[in-house]
Amino acid sequence: MREKHFWAWPIASYLFLGGLGGGMTILATVFDLFFNKGDVFALALLVAAACVGLGCFFLIFELGRPLQFWRVFSAQKAILTFGAWMLLILIGVNAVNFSFFTGWFPWSGMAGLQQVVAGIDLVLATGVVLYTGIMLSSLKARPFWNTPALPVLFTVSGLSTGAAADSLLAGIWPFAGTAEEVASVHEALHTLDIVLVVFELIVILLYVIMMYTSSNPTAKRAASRWLSGSFSASFWGGLVFVGLVLPLGLYALGGAAAGLLAPVLAIIGGIFLRFLVVYSDDRRLFTGEECYWERLPKGDEAFMEAWE
Amino acid sequence: MTRYAMVMDTRRCIGCHSCTVACRTWNELPTDMIYNPVLTDGPVGVYPNVHMNHMPLICMHCDNPACVGACPTGASQQDADGIVWVEDAKCIGCKACIQSCPYNARHMNHELGVAAKCNFCKDRVREGKEPHCVKTCHQRARIFGDLDDPNSDVSRLVNSLATVRLLEELDTDPQVYYIIGLGGQG
Ligand code: SF4
Ligand code: SF4
Repeated sequence: MREKHFWAWPIASYLFLGGLGGGMTILATVFDLFFNKGDVFALALLVAAACVGLGCFFLIFELGRPLQFWRVFSAQKAILTFGAWMLLILIGVNAVNFSFFTGWFPWSGMAGLQQVVAGIDLVLATGVVLYTGIMLSSLKARPFWNTPALPVLFTVSGLSTGAAADSLLAGIWPFAGTAEEVASVHEALHTLDIVLVVFELIVILLYVIMMYTSSNPTAKRAASRWLSGSFSASFWGGLVFVGLVLPLGLYALGGAAAGLLAPVLAIIGGIFLRFLVVYSDDRRLFTGEECYWERLPKGDEAFMEAWE
Repeated sequence: MTRYAMVMDTRRCIGCHSCTVACRTWNELPTDMIYNPVLTDGPVGVYPNVHMNHMPLICMHCDNPACVGACPTGASQQDADGIVWVEDAKCIGCKACIQSCPYNARHMNHELGVAAKCNFCKDRVREGKEPHCVKTCHQRARIFGDLDDPNSDVSRLVNSLATVRLLEELDTDPQVYYIIGLGGQG
């Protein structure tokens, strides 16, 4: 009768979607501000806002009292409050940024203003991507999370899934330019994603090895679950092979089909990563604690039913 | 000033779980919630020198509580006398405080959708009574009082005996002090 995981799939989904939406926005605005390719990425901005919005929905749905969610904006210093504000503003700014590219609004042609909005968007998206990792890494009670390497890992994954999603969406409506322009963006994004995926592969392996060799027995136990225990199929098969190695191979192979499949697999890798991390919420147990909780009734015993 | 604290004399605890039951009854907790479990280690040793160690747990009412800083709504708070508690009306059940507590002192109350924890029976304590678990402990293994009062039982014990605090290395500055006997854990 004891919860194994206080945070489960809704939080993992939110962390994935927040990282994805943030990463997509970062790359879209960077390509806009520094390479003048904003219009190719217009749709990506809108989809990124939708991803973050869906993530927020999971966050709210997961609360004990969802209708009270607005209280999250009320504390002064909590990381969570700060993050909630950033998520909310990012959705709005992304939508505004997108509106410049539609031609529907009186302000659509104002290029100078759009660049300012894109700049704000970039800062916010960077904040959101960093925040998801910083939030978990601030929890001293959870040794597998409590390391500055976690924000690094989440940021790299947010960027690599963002690059993958951006490449799937680049050049679709409302973009009206040439096919060559889109092709050159695709090429740039694929090269970028190769670099990011290689980097992520290195970071994730170092992370797990660092935890496995840690002097903290709780962190070590969680890491050994990844390497050779109950999480090993998801880790080696899902995250490392399907989510990182396979996309790398496909990107290297080149071709239209590979260019479509590789980003999808990279995005799936991002999902595996968040789930693996969220379910590694091990706390250091006191001697006798495990057996204490195990001996409690589970709720389906005959005497429990008779009592209720 | 007042600084409430508790001493657990594990030499006296016999692992009877009376405090657990008393707490659940007094606070009318749902069946799946326990604020103050009593852990048992053992039997350890070789016959005829075997013994069991019992360790009562509770919220440590930390001086630097991880839970309060993690709360995004201000529902988790600490009073001037050190008592850490949750204001139900403000809690949204986000579980950040539960994840931040190294002592597993916080639990979800699924009936209300809020985080819940031991509050040192603050309503009793401020009327001059003892927390219910302390009052119930017939072995007097749980001792409660004001650490800032040099004549209180807790300050006498803490200042005269070697005591241990749990997971001190995490900087939470827990205010529950364990007197360890017969090779119990620290
Ligand atoms: S034991 Fe946990 S719930 Fe209690 S004050 Fe410390 S951190 Fe907060
Ligand atoms: S569950 Fe309630 S008390 Fe705990 S951090 Fe969230 S809002 Fe605060």
